[in-house]
Amino acid sequence: MAFPHRPDAPELPDFSMLKRLARDQLIYLLEQLPGKKDLFIEADLMSPLDRIANVSILKQHEVDKLYKVENKPAFSSSEQLCFLVRPRIKNMRYIANLVNADKMAGRTRKYKVIFSPQKFYACEMVLEEEGIYGDVSCDEWAFSLLPLDVDLLSMELPEFFRDYFLEGDQCWINTVAQALHLLSTLYGPFPNCYGIGRCAKMSHELWRKLEEEEDGETKGRRPEIGHVFLLDRDVDFVTALCSQVVYEGLVDDTFRVKCGSVDFGPEVTSSDKSLKVLLNAEDKVFNEIRNEHFSNVFGFLSQKARNLQAQYDRRRGMDIKQMKNFVSQELKGLKQEHRLLSLHIGACESIMKKKTKQDFQELIKTEHALLEGFSIRESTNYIEEHIDRQVSPIESLRLMCLLSITENGLIPKDYRSLKTQYLQSYGPEHLLTFSNLRRAGLLTEQAPGDTLTAVESKVSKLVTDKAAGKITDAFSSLAKRSNFRAISKKLNLIPRVDGEYDLKVPRDMAYVFSGAYVPLSCRIIEQVLERQSWQGLDEVVRLLNCSELAFTDMTKEDKASSESLRLILVVFLGGCTFSEISALRFLGREKGDTGSSPGLGRSHMPRSN
Amino acid sequence: MRESRRPDSAWALPAPGCDTHNSHFRSPMSDSARPPQRPRGQEGSRGGRRGEQEPGPGPPGRGRGRGGGQVQPPTAVTAVAAASPRDPDGRKRKCLPGARARWVFLGAGRLPPAPAMDCYTANWNPLGDSAFYRKYELYSMDWDLKEELRDCLVAAAPYGGPIALLRNPGRKEKPASARPVLEIYSASGVPLASLLWKSGPMVSLGWSAEEELLCVQEDGVVLVYGLHGDFRRHFSMGNEVLQNQVLDARIFHTEFGSGVAILTGAHRFTLSANVGDLKLRRMPEVPGLQSAPSCWTTVCQDRVAHILLAVGPDLYLLDHAACSAVIPPGLAPGVSSFLQMAVSFTYRHLALFTDTGYIWMGTASLKEKLCEFNCNIRAPPKQMVWCSRPRSKERAVVVAWERRLMVVGDAPEGIQFVLDEDSYLVPELDGVRIFSRSTHEFLHEVPVASEEIFKIASMAPGALLLEAQKEYEKESQKADEYLREIQELGQLPQAVQQCIEAAGHEHWPDMQKSLLRAASFGKCFLDRFPPDSFVRMCQDLRVLNAIRDYHIGIPLTYSQYKQLTIQVLLDRLVLRRLYPLAIQICEYLRLPEVQGVSRILAHWACYKVQQKDVSDEDVARAINQKLGDTPGVSYSDIAARAYGCGRTELAIKLLEYEPRSGEQVPLLLKMKRSKLALSKAIESGDTDLVFTVLLHLKNELNRGDFFMTLRNQPMALSLYRQFCKHQELETLKDLYNQDDNHQELGSFHIRASYAAEERIEGRVAALQTAADAFYKAKNEFAAKATEDQMRLLRLQRRLEDELGGRFLDLSLHDTVTTLILSGQNKRAEQLARDFRIPDKRLWWLKLTALADLEDWEELEKFSKSKKSPIGYLPFVEICMKQHNKYEAKKYASRVGPEQKVKALLLVGDVAQAADVAIEHRNEAEMSLVLSHCTGATDGSTADKIQRARAQAQKK
Repeated sequence: MAFPHRPDAPELPDFSMLKRLARDQLIYLLEQLPGKKDLFIEADLMSPLDRIANVSILKQHEVDKLYKVENKPAFSSSEQLCFLVRPRIKNMRYIANLVNADKMAGRTRKYKVIFSPQKFYACEMVLEEEGIYGDVSCDEWAFSLLPLDVDLLSMELPEFFRDYFLEGDQCWINTVAQALHLLSTLYGPFPNCYGIGRCAKMSHELWRKLEEEEDGETKGRRPEIGHVFLLDRDVDFVTALCSQVVYEGLVDDTFRVKCGSVDFGPEVTSSDKSLKVLLNAEDKVFNEIRNEHFSNVFGFLSQKARNLQAQYDRRRGMDIKQMKNFVSQELKGLKQEHRLLSLHIGACESIMKKKTKQDFQELIKTEHALLEGFSIRESTNYIEEHIDRQVSPIESLRLMCLLSITENGLIPKDYRSLKTQYLQSYGPEHLLTFSNLRRAGLLTEQAPGDTLTAVESKVSKLVTDKAAGKITDAFSSLAKRSNFRAISKKLNLIPRVDGEYDLKVPRDMAYVFSGAYVPLSCRIIEQVLERQSWQGLDEVVRLLNCSELAFTDMTKEDKASSESLRLILVVFLGGCTFSEISALRFLGREKGDTGSSPGLGRSHMPRSN
Repeated sequence: MRESRRPDSAWALPAPGCDTHNSHFRSPMSDSARPPQRPRGQEGSRGGRRGEQEPGPGPPGRGRGRGGGQVQPPTAVTAVAAASPRDPDGRKRKCLPGARARWVFLGAGRLPPAPAMDCYTANWNPLGDSAFYRKYELYSMDWDLKEELRDCLVAAAPYGGPIALLRNPGRKEKPASARPVLEIYSASGVPLASLLWKSGPMVSLGWSAEEELLCVQEDGVVLVYGLHGDFRRHFSMGNEVLQNQVLDARIFHTEFGSGVAILTGAHRFTLSANVGDLKLRRMPEVPGLQSAPSCWTTVCQDRVAHILLAVGPDLYLLDHAACSAVIPPGLAPGVSSFLQMAVSFTYRHLALFTDTGYIWMGTASLKEKLCEFNCNIRAPPKQMVWCSRPRSKERAVVVAWERRLMVVGDAPEGIQFVLDEDSYLVPELDGVRIFSRSTHEFLHEVPVASEEIFKIASMAPGALLLEAQKEYEKESQKADEYLREIQELGQLPQAVQQCIEAAGHEHWPDMQKSLLRAASFGKCFLDRFPPDSFVRMCQDLRVLNAIRDYHIGIPLTYSQYKQLTIQVLLDRLVLRRLYPLAIQICEYLRLPEVQGVSRILAHWACYKVQQKDVSDEDVARAINQKLGDTPGVSYSDIAARAYGCGRTELAIKLLEYEPRSGEQVPLLLKMKRSKLALSKAIESGDTDLVFTVLLHLKNELNRGDFFMTLRNQPMALSLYRQFCKHQELETLKDLYNQDDNHQELGSFHIRASYAAEERIEGRVAALQTAADAFYKAKNEFAAKATEDQMRLLRLQRRLEDELGGRFLDLSLHDTVTTLILSGQNKRAEQLARDFRIPDKRLWWLKLTALADLEDWEELEKFSKSKKSPIGYLPFVEICMKQHNKYEAKKYASRVGPEQKVKALLLVGDVAQAADVAIEHRNEAEMSLVLSHCTGATDGSTADKIQRARAQAQKK
């Protein structure tokens, strides 16, 4: 394709080990409850579980029936019930109701709760409060990292963003630390570590502590991953708010990629059923177009179709022997490719249809205007019209947030009117949505003057880190400034366009947004890795409001050897978009590094309760 | 102490450094090497590494006591080899086959001092034909006893343990000034503790397996003291004992620990098999028992402790269920009473002393008789104990009278010793310790290996090897002869093994050395003799010699040491606060840090925190300096100990060094430093830990204080909020209330209006509360919005009542749309006015709704009602969406100039669009039209545009 793989690109570690590990552990846990049992699985865990262990494996280990944990009573006749759930209070109540109902009916069964990825004390407490703590046995399935692709790991924790960035609940940080620890035990210690953001810092500290406690285990192992980069999602909301235009991102926006696979509906498959398709590097067609700007995809696909046709056409003029060869060796591959091709063409059509209907061009234009910071008034009007016409509640919110962040908050008049319009269009319950968005700093009102921030930075200089955190917390609810414009200038996020931006042969990461914007997150990563520290980025870090929270952790003696280790692990705390993954892949190809990026629970727009 | 292992607990002894020594001990010579060369090889190994040093007489790093040996001058072997010109550096060298002939001593002038073994067997006393007993002095006692031992209550712990003495044991008639004194000495008589006995009269003393002193009082209370006289705890043996008083008591040891058996004044027995886990058992009554039994003892059978007692000529066995009379088989007739009984160390054997001076010896099960002996002394013996060892050839008992000691077994003659002083017997695993005011001796059966080697005229391989080595040192060729003799019989390996083994049983370092030297000498002539046994013995002896040192005073024999294990020995050293020695031993034996050094350091720290005269800071610093971050040391354990001593501040300081927050928090909670615990938990980042503290706080503090604490800890607060959101909604509300967080309170009520309330009135009420809260939060916008929502809800309710259909929970926009769709235009207008829907929205709304209805007439009317605030392009778009080109065209004409081209293109009028574009002279519009030109039909239009463009460019 457009980027020839550099021959010296480092080889990726074998992430499938994680899968095997998780499977073995699950089997072990299931065997802990010998005999036939019914398994209750939380809906959230179904897709990840599917990637780890299919039904036949479960059946092998005497799982009789499978139920979904949902808010209605389940009628299971088995004597042993096993629950595979996330550590949520809601689930505990569900289990408690079930057990208590059995108790009322005088029925005794064996119950086992398997928490994934870990057990929380609060859950045990609820079990205790509900009076069933003694009736159930608890276990942990420490399955925290699911390899979605050869270069992509995911924690599959969609609630991470909400819990941490909105509610300030830090319970998942431990999980992150443990996941990092697991990676370092499997793939050798990480010589270099960078990060930005409060959550990144805490995860890093906790992880370090874990490493220290289990001293010596990873020592002496040759590191496979040279650099680790931890990034809080709230460092860069902008990128997540922009419409995606690379193919994989669009597929996600349109069909929702869940756990590395997607359900293509009838309109794509051109048959009457929908089809679940695994999207990863094994899908050859997809692999070539996933990181492409959408405008190239059609061209590529039609070229591909022509090639395919040509391959088929070779049949003509073959003698018997060649034909035999062709059928036995190539035909299957071609057929497969054919099938995938038609699927992706179908998907493309479907995306086109949806996007043109919504005046996608206008939308993109507005976004770009917002990113560059011109014709704000028109953009605001556009957003208002967007709301009035009830085009899409999510898109409208997205635009509003983008406007707010790029402009350091909405001016009070607009803030009120947009909100009023929104409430009228989509219902008054969104009042809560706005309050949440405001808390997360996504949609705010312009502060009357800059006094607040000035005070804040002064105060945080005076007091210690911990106290500063408190103060920042307090202030951030009042005014979370994003300084996007200044950062954008500093980091040169808006590429200067001279002439048409060639999307076919991109020059920089901006191609993932049609050449209009370089994803902030990826730019930071690029800059830091180039310097191997935060040196020289002080101003940016200050503007990001993270001056105390950017860190570099380098084992000095390893520095020389780590030069040769170009494998980079980027951890997005709070999720990442496919655009960012594409941009990082681009970066990796350009620099000959491989950015493998575990997104920690992909975040989409936070929604109302 | 954390460790309270029983001596018999099976600790696997690590084999430290065996591997490393292996290579070194491999025969330094090649196969062809011959005897004359060997000594040098040995020397090479002696001078070599630390691991195989001969057991030095002194403890590593400690001064030598008078009990120990003296520094050895360089032995002859060293001297000889050093003087050898052929091999000045002592390296191994290949030797020619005929080298023997050239074996010449150059340093012949220096003859080695002959080991003092000529009269070695002088203290051997034969018992019968097969066994010898010997008695040797361990220490000359250092204590300055004023009283005779007989005036004291005496208790000595087995395994070379400490000795406790209670002078002037409780006699009530004595004045308070002459209170008894409890003294504790080491086995060598070094005083460890001395305290005035202020509690009640004491009946019996005894040591537990953990070397705690158990003092049984008359009232059945047992006081437990540490080795240093520190009071540990006390417990009572029950009410019955209290009422009837203790007549007699015994401390005994079983595999479960140490037990106490008590004979009460009512002649009943009460016992507890393990004082660590006190379970009192009252034994059944002995029928017809009127007076105290003449003698009694505890017997342990099938893991249960029984009591065997003698009443007149009868013997009874008490188990917890019944009392049964027993008769020892083969007991000589004429016995009218038993004066003394003794159970062996392992509870296997029993000896009975009768009033006829007859001793019966048999198994403790009373099923078998071993032998009998008649000593013809009718006086009751002071003590009678078994003196045997594991796998003993001969079982013998030692009977002590005032001035006489007799060893009797299955032989017509016993061995008699005269006791110069009042003595006390301590049964051991492999012998008997006897101490008196001036000496401490050990009496045991001579072990097999020693007997083989040292027996007069013994021809055992070990004996020959020892002889050969001696001759070798004398530089006599006899050495060769002896060696040949052994080798011809192929017994050299046994010979070496025997010497090694015998060395283990020797108390005196000189003797140990001789034997080891012989073993080492013999080893040189063997290929592939596994070195571990030799190395291990060297190490063990070094350790043993160190602890046998006078200052330490633990006279363990090799067998006892093996039985006790190094781990327990280390514990005992720790118990005696001999930390440096313990650490040196660990380092010497290369024990893993976690089992060895760290454990000891931790114990040291625990001891250190008890030093009340040192300030908290100093203690904490001292501990941290010593311990650093040694693996396996838990600062929280030490802190817990400090807290146990009432030094909370010190505990907190120590906790600072604890790297694992998970360990800090529970202790802080226990110390009631909940707030500190909370901040520690938060620092740790472990939410579970935070939760633990939160719930603790919630129970501990009243609600207000609890909330206040939370308020200062945002992280904990948000965590608790999350919990409340799911589990305790009311608390959440209180939390917000307390913080005056009206904004969140408002949100809370809004949420409640959706979740909790079904009825419209309830929802409105909840919303009203929310609105009030928003006003308080000065959030006018939210308040107004909420009020609007209330109005809307009421209205929707009315609409539902009047019109039917579903209106509730629709947005305002959708409500109006629904009204229009159902033809309620009037109401729709009214609603729009009431809620001040902006014109733009209204137009969009109506436009979409009417188009959906395909009510084109109404749409046209609407479009003409006034000038459209959204322009007319949307009209065109919406008509085209409904595929109504005809209607679309109507509106296209009304579209404003800026959007005209777009509108025209939409309705498909490319030609006109081109005209307009050209008229506007707008480049962008022209290209737009051009892009819509398709096929032949628009060919002319395209040309027209191209022309216009060209024209424009010309200008």
